Amino acid sequence: MKLHEHEAKEAFAAAGIPVPRSALAADAEGVAKAAREIGFPCVLKSQVLRGGRGKAGLIKVANTEAEARDTARTLFESAHNVKKVLVEEAVVIDREIYLSITVDPVAAEALVLACAEGGVEIEELAAKSPEKIVRERVSLAEGLLPYRARNVAYALGLEGDVAKKTASVLEALWRVFRSNDAELAEINPLFVTKSGSIVAGDGKLALDDNALFRHPGREPGRDYYDSAAAFEAAAEGIPYLQFDGDISLMCAGAGLTTVVYDLIVDEGGSIANYLEFGGPNYKKAVRAMELCLKNDPQVILIVTFGTIARADIMAEGIAEAIGKLKPSCPIVACIRGTGEEKAVEILKAAGLEPLFDTEEAVRKAVAFANEARANEARAHKARGRESDAAAGASTDTVPGSASGAAKEGTR
Amino acid sequence: MSVFIDRSDRVLVQGITGGEGSFWTKHMIDLGTTVVAGVTPGKEGQSVEGVSVFHTVRRAVESHPADAAMLFVPPRFTKDAVFEALDSGIRKIVTIADGIPLHEALEIRAAAMSCGARVVGGNTSGVISPGRAMMGMFPFWIERVYKPGRIGVMTRSGSLTNEVTAMIVRSGFGVSSLIGVGGDPVPGTRFADMLPDFQADEGTDAVVIIGELGGTMEEEVADAIRDGIFRKPLVAFLGGRNAPRGKRMGHAGAIVTGGKGTVEGKTAALRAARAFVASRPSQVGELLAEAFGATAAHTVKGAVAVPGATPGPRAGKETR
Repeated sequence: MKLHEHEAKEAFAAAGIPVPRSALAADAEGVAKAAREIGFPCVLKSQVLRGGRGKAGLIKVANTEAEARDTARTLFESAHNVKKVLVEEAVVIDREIYLSITVDPVAAEALVLACAEGGVEIEELAAKSPEKIVRERVSLAEGLLPYRARNVAYALGLEGDVAKKTASVLEALWRVFRSNDAELAEINPLFVTKSGSIVAGDGKLALDDNALFRHPGREPGRDYYDSAAAFEAAAEGIPYLQFDGDISLMCAGAGLTTVVYDLIVDEGGSIANYLEFGGPNYKKAVRAMELCLKNDPQVILIVTFGTIARADIMAEGIAEAIGKLKPSCPIVACIRGTGEEKAVEILKAAGLEPLFDTEEAVRKAVAFANEARANEARAHKARGRESDAAAGASTDTVPGSASGAAKEGTR
Repeated sequence: MSVFIDRSDRVLVQGITGGEGSFWTKHMIDLGTTVVAGVTPGKEGQSVEGVSVFHTVRRAVESHPADAAMLFVPPRFTKDAVFEALDSGIRKIVTIADGIPLHEALEIRAAAMSCGARVVGGNTSGVISPGRAMMGMFPFWIERVYKPGRIGVMTRSGSLTNEVTAMIVRSGFGVSSLIGVGGDPVPGTRFADMLPDFQADEGTDAVVIIGELGGTMEEEVADAIRDGIFRKPLVAFLGGRNAPRGKRMGHAGAIVTGGKGTVEGKTAALRAARAFVASRPSQVGELLAEAFGATAAHTVKGAVAVPGATPGPRAGKETR
C-alpha cells in the first residue's frame, strides 16, 4: 500500500527527518488560507499516488493568495482525482540527493540506495551510470548501524555538516522503514539548502500489505482506489482491477488469472476486469459475479484449477450467483481441480456447458465478445436507419445532424 | 531419487491439529510420506491420523527425530515456527502460509541461508514427488496432473501448476519432483537455489519452470544455465506477458516496477541462455519433446544422453 506524500512526511517527521513547513487542504479556500499562513512563494502539491506529478502539472508554485486559490481550483478540477493539496514553504536549494531503503530478495537483506544526484529517475540513472549509485546492504537482524550511514554519506562525496546530517537522516529513514513495515522508504529529492540545512523535498512510503495488521488505522480508504468497484472488492479481500474491455474475468488463482488475461489479449480480445476469487475467497462466487457485472461485460469467463479452492463448491456458488443475479451476458466456464466431477454436474444443471481446456475457453469467450460487438453494431446501424427515416419524414430537422447521429451509431 | 522430499525423509508437522493441518497430513501419509510427529502448543498427548502431537518442536524431536518440517501455521506466526524448527536442527522446511510479512520473509530466508537450511514458501502448495511423498497440499489423486515421471517442475503459482503440469502429462511426460517456490516477493527458496539439486537428480531429465512477471528469479535461472550450473534441457512458461505495467496482478511478487521484471526481459534472458520459452500452457509439452529431439516420451532418456543435445534457440516458431 502506497501512502500519500503528506502521510509519508508525517512518518518522516515523527522519526526526526526535517520536512518543509506545510499544511493540508481539501478545497481552494483551504489552500488559500494555508498559503497565507505558510507565506509566499509556496508550493501546491496535489496528493495523488501517481508518479511524475511535476510533469503532469500537479505541482505548482503560487506567489500570491489569489494565485494559490486559482491554481488550487484548477488542481481540484483536473482529471486526476485530486482530493487534497499539500501547501509547502518553498525551499532555496543548493543541491539534491537521492536516498532510499528497499529489500533485496536474493541476499535477504535491506538495501540502501543513494545517489549524489537526486530528483532523478533512479532506475534510469542506475541503468545509464551504475557507478553513481551507492549501495549498502543491511541485515535486518543487525539493523542499520551508524557506521553504515557514514559509509553512504561519505561515498556520496558529501563533507562536513552536510555529511553528518545526511547520515542521521539515513538512520532515521531506517527507523521509518522498520517501524512501518515498509516495502520502500524513499526521499527523492533530499534537499540541501543554500543555508546548509537538510530537508526532505518529497517522500514515498510503500507499506507491506501483509503487515497492515500491525498498523491499525492504515487501512486504505476510497481515495486509494480507481473505482468504487475496486474499493468494494478490496474490502472483500478480492483482488480486482478494472479495465474498459469486453470480457470479465472471474478466475481462481493469481497465476492462472494472469495467464488467462495474456491469452485473451493474444486472441485479440479485451478485458473488462481482472478478478480472482481463489484462495480464501473461493466461496464468494456470488459477490465475485456481482463485481463482474458492475462493468457491463459482454461475457463472463470463469477459469479455475483449484486444489483447496474446491471445484464443486465454486460451481455451487456460480449456480447460486446465476440464479440470484440473472446475468444477461453469456458465461463461459472451465472449472477443474478437486471435486471437478461433481462440479460438472452442477454446471450442467445451471445450464452451462463445462469446458476443460483453458485455451479453448478463452477462444470461446473472445468469440462471444466479438459476436456481441457485431450484434451491437448491427443494432446501432438499424437504429441509425430508423432515425434517418424519421429525419426524412420530419421537415424541421436539419438533415446533416441526422446522418451525423447514424454515423455515431455505427462507430 | 527425488528432489527435496522422499519417503526416507522423516517429516514433522507444525500446526497438525488445525483443519488444514489434519486434512493434508492424512493425504501426505496416504501418498507414502513418513510423518513422524506433530506439534501444536497446548495439545500434547493428542494424536492426528495416528501421529503423536507435542507442545513444542524440541519436545517432539527428543523422541521422534525429524529431517523436515511441514508448517500449517498462519502467516503472522510463521517466522516463529520456522525459527523453532531451525533451532531443533531441522534443515528442510515448507510453509504454505499466504501473507507472511515482508520483513519477516527476509529474516526467514536470511536465517535459512546462514545455517545451510532450505525453507520453501510461503504462498505455495508445497513440494511433491508424485508417487512417493509430499509436503503440502496437492490433489495427487488427479492422475492427469500428478503422474510420476522424469520432468522436474518449479513454480511460483499454485493454480498455474495444475494447468501447466496437466499439459506436461498430456504430452506423455510425468513429474519427478515439483517445488512450489511460491508467489511472494521474498520466497525462502528461489528457482536458482534448487537447480543444482535437479542437475544432480538422476530421476530428472529436464526442468520446467512456471514463472511470472515481477522479480528476477527467471533471470537468475538464465544465469545458472549460462554458468553451466544447470545443463539439462529447461522449458519456461511465464505468466503476465500482457499485464499492464505498475498493476499488481494477484501475487504480491507479480508487479513490474521501473521497467524491471517484465516477461519480455525474462524471455530474452532465458532464450539467450538457450532455454525454451512457451507462449501458451499447451506449448510446454511440445517444447519438452522438441528439447529432447524426439516426440515420444519413451525415447526421452536416450535423447538426453547424446552429447550436445542441449536445446538450441527456437527462431520463428513462437508467437512472441
